[in-house]
Amino acid sequence: MIPLALLRFLARTPWSTGMALIGMALGVASIVSVHLVSASISSRLDGLVPSSLAGYSYYLHRDDLNAKDYFALRRLWRSGALPEVDELSPVVDETAELEGLSVRVLGVDLLAQAPSARGQASSNQFALDGAWVDPSLNGRLSLPVNGLIEAPEGTLLADISVAHDLLGWPAHQLSYIGLVMTHSFDASVEFAEQLLPGFGAGFPTSKPNLNVGPDWQLVNMAEQYPARAFGKSILFNIAALGMLALLVAWLLIYQVAVSWLRRLWPVFDRLHGLGVEWQSLRTYFLGSIGLIATFAAGLGLLAGWWLAAWLLAMTVPDQTVQLDLNAWVIVKAFGSAWVVCLFGGLWAFQRSQRGAPDTLVPFLTTIFLVICATVCIVDPETGLAGGFFAIAVLSLAAAQLMKPLLIRLKRWSSRIGGSYLLRVGLREALWHPEELSVSLAGLSLAIATAIGVGLMVDSFRLDFSQMLDHRLKYDVIAEGDAGMLSQLIAGSELTSAASRVQVYSSSEIRVDGRLMELNVTRMDAFESTRYGHDQRLDRDEALLSEQAARALGRSTGDTLTVAGKTVRVAGVFSAFGDLKPRLIVDDANSIAKVLSPVLSADSVAFQSSHPQGLAGALRTSLPGLELRLQTDIRRIALKVFDQTFGITTVLISIALMVAAISIYIAVTTLRLNRQTGRQLLDTLGVNRLEQNVMNAALGTGLGVVAMIVALPLGVMFGWVLCAVINPRAFGWTIELQLSAGAILWPCVWGMLAAIIAGALQVGDREEGAFGGR
Amino acid sequence: MSHSSALTISNISKHYQDGGRQIEVLRDLSLSVAAGESLSVTGPSGSGKSTLLNLLAGLLELDNGDITLQLKDATFSYRAASERARTALRRQHIGYVFQFFNLVPTLTVLENVRLPARLNRRPELEAQAEALLRDFGLSDRFHDFPEALSGGEQQRVAVARAVLLKPPLLLADEPTGNLDAENSAQVSDLLFASCRDQNITLVLATHSNEVAGMADTQLHLDARSSSRSAP
Repeated sequence: MIPLALLRFLARTPWSTGMALIGMALGVASIVSVHLVSASISSRLDGLVPSSLAGYSYYLHRDDLNAKDYFALRRLWRSGALPEVDELSPVVDETAELEGLSVRVLGVDLLAQAPSARGQASSNQFALDGAWVDPSLNGRLSLPVNGLIEAPEGTLLADISVAHDLLGWPAHQLSYIGLVMTHSFDASVEFAEQLLPGFGAGFPTSKPNLNVGPDWQLVNMAEQYPARAFGKSILFNIAALGMLALLVAWLLIYQVAVSWLRRLWPVFDRLHGLGVEWQSLRTYFLGSIGLIATFAAGLGLLAGWWLAAWLLAMTVPDQTVQLDLNAWVIVKAFGSAWVVCLFGGLWAFQRSQRGAPDTLVPFLTTIFLVICATVCIVDPETGLAGGFFAIAVLSLAAAQLMKPLLIRLKRWSSRIGGSYLLRVGLREALWHPEELSVSLAGLSLAIATAIGVGLMVDSFRLDFSQMLDHRLKYDVIAEGDAGMLSQLIAGSELTSAASRVQVYSSSEIRVDGRLMELNVTRMDAFESTRYGHDQRLDRDEALLSEQAARALGRSTGDTLTVAGKTVRVAGVFSAFGDLKPRLIVDDANSIAKVLSPVLSADSVAFQSSHPQGLAGALRTSLPGLELRLQTDIRRIALKVFDQTFGITTVLISIALMVAAISIYIAVTTLRLNRQTGRQLLDTLGVNRLEQNVMNAALGTGLGVVAMIVALPLGVMFGWVLCAVINPRAFGWTIELQLSAGAILWPCVWGMLAAIIAGALQVGDREEGAFGGR
Repeated sequence: MSHSSALTISNISKHYQDGGRQIEVLRDLSLSVAAGESLSVTGPSGSGKSTLLNLLAGLLELDNGDITLQLKDATFSYRAASERARTALRRQHIGYVFQFFNLVPTLTVLENVRLPARLNRRPELEAQAEALLRDFGLSDRFHDFPEALSGGEQQRVAVARAVLLKPPLLLADEPTGNLDAENSAQVSDLLFASCRDQNITLVLATHSNEVAGMADTQLHLDARSSSRSAP
């Protein structure tokens, strides 16, 4: 009979039941969509590493590495001197021009069976004189192709001897020695990665201390693939932002459970008085809320899948993306709904039954976590995860602050002046800490996230725009193959229309074992100012990008040895968006002279008073060249920038929407429990319009309270994102700018959400647990 | 004191619908009360006491019959009035005291009493609110919120609020039902004395014979969905 009564209760309050269902479904949808988007990006990033190298975690490098070094190292390993290493193999890995195509040649010891052979051609196709290529090279090379491999475009895999032949290298020369090293926590990281795609990239990687001698450089494989590392860092940021959306969703689901309980509690109290055991009542309560959670999780799963498809279509419109609705995401959707509902509901039930425990444990735990978060902010070794742990702790501390803040504001509220009806509405927002603190914490968190991310994006955009102002000093830029560029440089009638012509050459080099891009050009005062250096670059000087300086541990004034030549670091420049660390030297520099055989011109820049005319002339004379106008570069750069952050905007919007529904559910429950108050105002002759004004004032009050917490919290988030997360994720620093727009708009949207939640009275007329006339 | 009829109830009926069942609460009730006089309404639970008061307040619509209230320069007919007009009537011309939840919890004692003056834009009455509270022995509770007051104190504040505008009609629904004997006597005395002094017509629903006995006229409603006129 009791389950029947509960079902009737659900049916008699369709609007409240519907809102609970929609609110929970929206929470689950945000969880599912973030997971699917992250998983899709993660799988594409993994594709950047050829499958044959995927198993290596580190590599060892030294100058003039050869087979003798490899065998010496192998002997050392066999003797047990390198217990951390599970496997090691020689690798040739260089990019070369083959039959007119730029090909990355990977040479591995096929007889030694390189690790992670998944995706390779099967052993019955094995032929030492042929090669395996990615699909883009299939049929375009004259050498025998044994099969296709999973690898980025332009990759060729062969036995070491074949690679040597293709590169024209001596038989003993090697690029590096790949190492397979497994850690005890690898399985846990793999599990975390499945549950929260992208999270693995955030954990700090402590470099093992190998006993191999001082002239060896041990480099993490991630540094070999900067594009992948860059992407994984973005992914981690999205995953962490998704975690905040998840937290808001969990708060909403918990709020629904608590509101549900508050409405049912008078019935339970009576039933207990009639002899029904608390245990049975608890089971009935959890059963009813579990039923809603089940429907909501199913609905949220479908909505989340659709949302993820839409988000990906928005961010990568030119690619078809397969979304895998696998067991992990289903477990995550249903798990979130059930676990938060059931555990939150159980906790709320026990608090209602026995009263809130008077304990200092939550406070002391928060203090301890805040100390840990401070350590994470100060110590860069804690990595990206440390930065986001700090944000999570700040969120938790802010959420804990909400109830005492409401209690304090309630005491102060007698000082609120103005119209009496406005006073009633505003004070109503402060009067119910128990009922409103959870949803207000959710709203504050959503607004703070929006402010923090907005501040970071605005600061980043300003720095990025300033960088473009510095860099975009040329009106036309021509790119293409080296032959065509040489033709362009030689053709004086083409370049005579330009007031300045700048030729850039580049090559990949290794500095302290790290792969970097070397740029060589005439570094006079004009060119140097493009990199924030106010004088010409001397022949023994170099400029480093911020990422390069961080990777090499160098700063202005330090020295650096490249290709046997020592140069002084004259300055460090910002290079937002650079995938590889970069080093710039003057074309008269000794490094440029030593490396001149491997340097090739890759672009030519022009200053001209008639850029359109110059571009037109170049296009006519050398149609194979790719020409870009300065205005186009700026526009495209800013478009890509805004597109990159489009996904964060959507995630924040979802969090705000979820928070607004949470507030609405809390306010509706509050009103249901306080119908007598409304009757009193009716009796005093307060009309419908005035009641609407009061409700709007209630919403405004809720918004103001949320803002009190959200504003400082949002600015703190912004600072952590700019000063802690960005340097650790991408290697660049952003100066925090307190832009009015980034602070104002989330406040406006948050306030609007609160006012709508307060003013909306649909479903208000539903009866609580007890109907009556 | 004027003895002309201030409140006239003519053949009123009211029923509630409960699913397919119709419950008749009041049937063909007629009576009149003179200005400044008091009427007590007694009867068992479900006999229609609160329904009668809610009809007099204009919170419910009449099924049949009419109620008229004599205002300063007009007669207000409930039957012809819109919901908006009845809301305006409550605001300007009716005071109400409940058994429970009489005060707005988020307004202080003084703000609660001043509320009708503010709603009717009559700032000249605000000073009188303080005077009333002093007269009612609440001079030290002006800035307290209702949750800090005892039940008796809350009812005294409610009476002060109800008489502030000197309305022609004051309705009280079990105003002493939740009080001990001492507080009950104190509140009843205040209520009857204030109405008498200010020429306010009082209609009071109560279970207490003692309180009912203080009224000029008594009406007893029975529990059989019908009504009986006062003796």
